[in-house]
Amino acid sequence: MKASAPTGSHAHQLLNQIESLQDGFRKLSKAATLKDLADQFASILNRIFPNTQTHVFHRVDPGEHWQKHNGPGQPLPVPPDDLTDSSGYLDKTSRSICTVQRLVDKSQIGLVLTQRSGTRKYSDADVVSLRLFVQLFDNAYQSLLYRRKEKELVFALNHRVLQLNSLIDTGIEVSKLYQRIALHQLALERAASLTNASKGLVRVTSKNGVKEETFFPVGERTRKVENLSHRITSSFRFGGKTYTFKLFEKESRHGILPFEETDQLLLDALARQVHASLENRYLHQQELEKQKIEREISVAASIQQRILPEALPVIDGYDIAGINIPSKLVGGDYFDCISLPDGRYALVMADVAGKGMPAALLVSSLHAYLSAYLETHMSLAELAGRLNKVICRTSTPEKFITAFIALLTPGTGDIEAVNAGHNPVYWMKNDGTIQELKASGVPFGMLDLDLPYKNEQIRLGKGERVLLYTDGIPEATNQRSELYESASPLVDFLMRHKLAPAELFIKDLIDDIKSFTGDAPQSDDITALYLVRK
Amino acid sequence: MEQQFTLTSEVRDNCLVLSTSGYVNNVGGEKIAEEFSRHFEGGTKKVIVNLAQSKVVNSIGMSFLIDIVDQLNDAGGKLVFTNLDPAVDKMLTIMGLFQFAGKAKNVDEALVSLTTGN
Repeated sequence: MKASAPTGSHAHQLLNQIESLQDGFRKLSKAATLKDLADQFASILNRIFPNTQTHVFHRVDPGEHWQKHNGPGQPLPVPPDDLTDSSGYLDKTSRSICTVQRLVDKSQIGLVLTQRSGTRKYSDADVVSLRLFVQLFDNAYQSLLYRRKEKELVFALNHRVLQLNSLIDTGIEVSKLYQRIALHQLALERAASLTNASKGLVRVTSKNGVKEETFFPVGERTRKVENLSHRITSSFRFGGKTYTFKLFEKESRHGILPFEETDQLLLDALARQVHASLENRYLHQQELEKQKIEREISVAASIQQRILPEALPVIDGYDIAGINIPSKLVGGDYFDCISLPDGRYALVMADVAGKGMPAALLVSSLHAYLSAYLETHMSLAELAGRLNKVICRTSTPEKFITAFIALLTPGTGDIEAVNAGHNPVYWMKNDGTIQELKASGVPFGMLDLDLPYKNEQIRLGKGERVLLYTDGIPEATNQRSELYESASPLVDFLMRHKLAPAELFIKDLIDDIKSFTGDAPQSDDITALYLVRK
Repeated sequence: MEQQFTLTSEVRDNCLVLSTSGYVNNVGGEKIAEEFSRHFEGGTKKVIVNLAQSKVVNSIGMSFLIDIVDQLNDAGGKLVFTNLDPAVDKMLTIMGLFQFAGKAKNVDEALVSLTTGN
């Protein structure tokens, strides 16, 4: 509640003076800067000491010159040098008084009060009053320092929160970026901002030298930044390259500072985030590639399975069995025994160079064209020539097919065959010998030069047999990378199993191969067709 | 990507509009503070800081901005930040600047806010 007194009375004047002083003290306690403090303090003193000019000085160290913070300009009534802390001084003419006070931070305030006119002289009591008021200044100054310190602490605390927050945000943003340059830029921006670095650089080097450089801010140059003295560095290796992050010159409002340990930790953390992002991107691409291959393999396998015969035809007077064991990567093996309208049978064994979808598609083409041509009654040599032409047209030069195609006339045992660059077919004769039906032309799709394919004619006697196979059998390898053919020649196997029925022969052959290869992965398709004339 | 710092200023509807470009660091902060002081001493108490072309602010640059906000608040004035990049927006929020300063989408919106008090 506001006190009241009759207007103009001495009490009224006193109350006004008290209110004015209270207002002054409130402002004094809220001053944001030393200059504000000096201004407010001078204003209070001017009310206490009428007709006075107040000069406020400050110095950080007693050895320094006084810095004036308030009051009229020249001539400056500087506090005498011999005036000690916490003492007052009344000059001989009593026209000025002064005092010096050591403040809480060891700095000093100097106050000089001078008369505006010569009507009044200061007294010792004024010096004592000034000493009392200067204590108030000390309190207000302490309050200013506390507020400033509190503000700095809040700022520092917020900045730490900001650093942590930004680190988390950057981790998320970096994981979304797929362009390497953008990744470097973002990491540099954040690193510079969080550490108050004035400049930054990301350099990617390989054994051949510098591959790329990204600067922050844009427009900086290598030579310029590398000459800067204060720096921190963080680096990692990935994909045969070294990624180096550098920050230069930690800023403050008072000049360049050395980087702190926290700055190094922040830079390391951001570099690790970039490293993790590059690794994740690489692994993601690998995974996509793997998924693509797996899809391709799945489709290729399904194409191949549709083409291969579910069951071989029953041929009167013959025993026939076949097998196809696809490898994991899906090769391009194909075999069939096709019943023709004229009573003959086409025996086919083929192997496409390569694996996966391209091989499966080529097998599919071969199957389609072969089926079509077999119905035209053209000679095998002509059929082979046509197949070569269409495969040349529909595939790239590195994709070709080796094939053995035979036409069997069941009644006579006559076999007419062409071998387009395929493994020799074994004919086990009744005299105990094995004859090879070797290549009589180039693989289909290899050369479009109208090179002729030569027919081979044999007559399969009763009890004689033929084995058609692909290179997955002789080239099957064990864990010591030894070839099946080297360790156990196929002809030896044939001799040992020459009396076995077709089904059993195939089973024993596969068992023998598996026994040889053991746990070694199957690297190629294994395909065989075995025909016995009963 | 952040360029070297540049500053442009204009007075619109008695409001000082400071538009920055590039890294708001010690150098940038000093330039902003100098330009502000020139106008503040001439009586300007409404200020817009357009950070459209500044995607990176460090704490030194921010301390200059805080000083300006303090000076304006003490003098009964106001500062409004505009065109903030999300990262800068978050930064200023965490540092507590929006307790004492305003934020607007763009300069025109800030001008309306400062001239009508909305």
